[in-house]
Amino acid sequence: MQLKCSLKAALLGATLLAAAGSAHAQNVTLRALMEDVPETQIIEKLLPEFEKETGIKIEFEKIGYGDMHDKLVAQLVSPESYYNVLEVDFLWAGEFPTAGWLEDLNPYIAKSGFDLKPFIPSMLELLGQTKDATPILPMYNYSMGLIYRADLLDDAKVKADYKAKTGKELALPKTLAEYVELSKFFKAGGNVVGAAMQAQRGDPNAMEFSNYLFSSGGAYLDAGRKVVLNSPEGLTALKLYADNVQNGAQQGALSATLDDTMRLMCAGKAFSMVTYWWMLPQLDNKEKCPEVAGKLALSVMPGGHGESGGWGWGIPKNTSDESKAAAWKFIEWVQGKKVSIARALEGHAPVRSDVFEDEAVLKKYPFYKTGLDIVASGKSFPIFAYSAQYEDVLGAQLSLAAGGQAKPEDALKAAADGLTQLLAK
Amino acid sequence: MRVPAFADRDWRTGWAFAAPGLLTLAVVMGFPLVYAALISLSSLTLLKPMLQPFVGLKNFATVMADPLFWSALWLTIKYSLVTVLGEFVVGLGIALMLNRTVTMKPVYFAVLTIPMAMSPVSVALIWRMLLQPNLGIANQVMESLGLPRIDWLGNADLALWTMAAIDIWQQTSFVVLILAAGLASLPRDPYEAAEVDGATPLQQFWYITLPMLRPVAAIAVIIQLINEFRTYDLPYILTKGGPGNATEVLSFFAYRRAFLGLSLNEGAAAAFVLLLIVLGLTILFFATLERRR
Repeated sequence: MQLKCSLKAALLGATLLAAAGSAHAQNVTLRALMEDVPETQIIEKLLPEFEKETGIKIEFEKIGYGDMHDKLVAQLVSPESYYNVLEVDFLWAGEFPTAGWLEDLNPYIAKSGFDLKPFIPSMLELLGQTKDATPILPMYNYSMGLIYRADLLDDAKVKADYKAKTGKELALPKTLAEYVELSKFFKAGGNVVGAAMQAQRGDPNAMEFSNYLFSSGGAYLDAGRKVVLNSPEGLTALKLYADNVQNGAQQGALSATLDDTMRLMCAGKAFSMVTYWWMLPQLDNKEKCPEVAGKLALSVMPGGHGESGGWGWGIPKNTSDESKAAAWKFIEWVQGKKVSIARALEGHAPVRSDVFEDEAVLKKYPFYKTGLDIVASGKSFPIFAYSAQYEDVLGAQLSLAAGGQAKPEDALKAAADGLTQLLAK
Repeated sequence: MRVPAFADRDWRTGWAFAAPGLLTLAVVMGFPLVYAALISLSSLTLLKPMLQPFVGLKNFATVMADPLFWSALWLTIKYSLVTVLGEFVVGLGIALMLNRTVTMKPVYFAVLTIPMAMSPVSVALIWRMLLQPNLGIANQVMESLGLPRIDWLGNADLALWTMAAIDIWQQTSFVVLILAAGLASLPRDPYEAAEVDGATPLQQFWYITLPMLRPVAAIAVIIQLINEFRTYDLPYILTKGGPGNATEVLSFFAYRRAFLGLSLNEGAAAAFVLLLIVLGLTILFFATLERRR
């Protein structure tokens, strides 16, 4: 009888403690610094549902990509981070865990029984998963492909002009060289520029150039992580990149960012842009971009490989246990199958294969099939502790070469040397 | 018998009044400064956030061995001199006009202070949109006048000067205010005497206005030089230091070292070099003030 009473008391105590803990978690307000892109807006729309289900409030602070790293680092090195759930770019997936700023999510995954199997393995790897730890859970992918004006490729007059000038039939380019040639043809025509390019120094041009590099058959590192950027393929890629900036792209490409290229494409003033595949519905939109709606198509980067990237969720170490528990609850909810499908139906770029294959998703967005091809064929920028700095080192050299201030050979050598030095740091 | 200073009542009252301000300054300025000095002499990076071991002047040597540091320093000097010269010439012209204006003076001053009241980040964002080569207003105006479109921020030869022009647009009003105040305080007697002697307006300006305005003008120039040496917001928003390294000024160089390179120690060393330059200008500023007295 006494044992029974003791057990009951213990059970009651445990229940009360758990309830108190849960009530405490409900009092937590989660704060996340988010990139101001469609994906964030899609999740934001669903947040009331999460708050209703869990009682946990969540606030998104939306800013441009360029300011995110510095704001996050300032919080992560402070005694307590203001942001208690983190949106982490794959470029920081080397730096943040190396610095010891992120919780390992494996204990949370094991405790909640969250199933990682549907996640595309390359996405987990891209975001720093090792056999021992999962510092970041994939959120969405941003692999890059080619968005182009299908109506211009089908235009009889353009076809005739192209044939007259080049002796070749106008078609979707299969190689990078063909793409740059086509881009220059359109610019020379005067009606539209061939490519809306984001060649501003830093993240914009480093990401854009990576597509050119992979399409030419080049790479940053070999399988043994030896730097192989300075290769004939790399040089071809850089020469074609500089050629397109100078002769195929819009005026001001060297100071342009993603926003500038989107505006240009939306205004119907460019034939193509190398960009994130899920940007298609943003541009193919009658209300936002009436000039080009219904005229656009998506393909894998000419040459067969584009840059693959992704964002993930992390939990900072320098927050309270209650915050961490609430943060995991949110991550588990937002990356679960149900919410992922709801997000995909609004244009989310999935990281789960079961979402890519979902019937409702494919029915609404047939181009997700091409999206999966782009993700599957994508290659990654080198991920290590100094990836963000390397973007800047590479970006400066690309900018010098594309602006005609340095020879492509010299710029490529400097970019390769910079990578070697940073890898050894 | 001489009373010790601390025993004097006025002395104690003075310190009592000054103490809160001095204490605040020590906390918000002194502590970060000392800490930054320690960081610049240490091996602290964002990946290894420990001050020890101290490495002496190694970070300064590393930073100065980078050719980009010297390029950034040279760009900073060029940029600062050009912007301050531009602000002074335009500012003096406006101040002279305002000095002769009788009606609606407060309205002109109110309008002139608008750019100064705006944050440099907002100014940079607005100008970035105006100067957008394909969709911006500036090039549409150029085109309507039959002039060619210009790649304001994407051309390596032009980007720094475009940035300087934006800076001049924003900062000139500060110079106008100081010079206008200086002009208003000049005595009338020398001008009346000059008129009696038949001096032309240009001679009056050259031989009376400029010499008498010199102390005020020197203050305006030195304050602006200090400001311009620290410029960071405009390159950050407008160009991110590009194209190439065409707009990478010293403060942006220090930022890149610290936050992109994760080397707070090297960033702090670069920032200290900048601090030394600004400190030199500040000493010059106070020396000018002393001479004025």
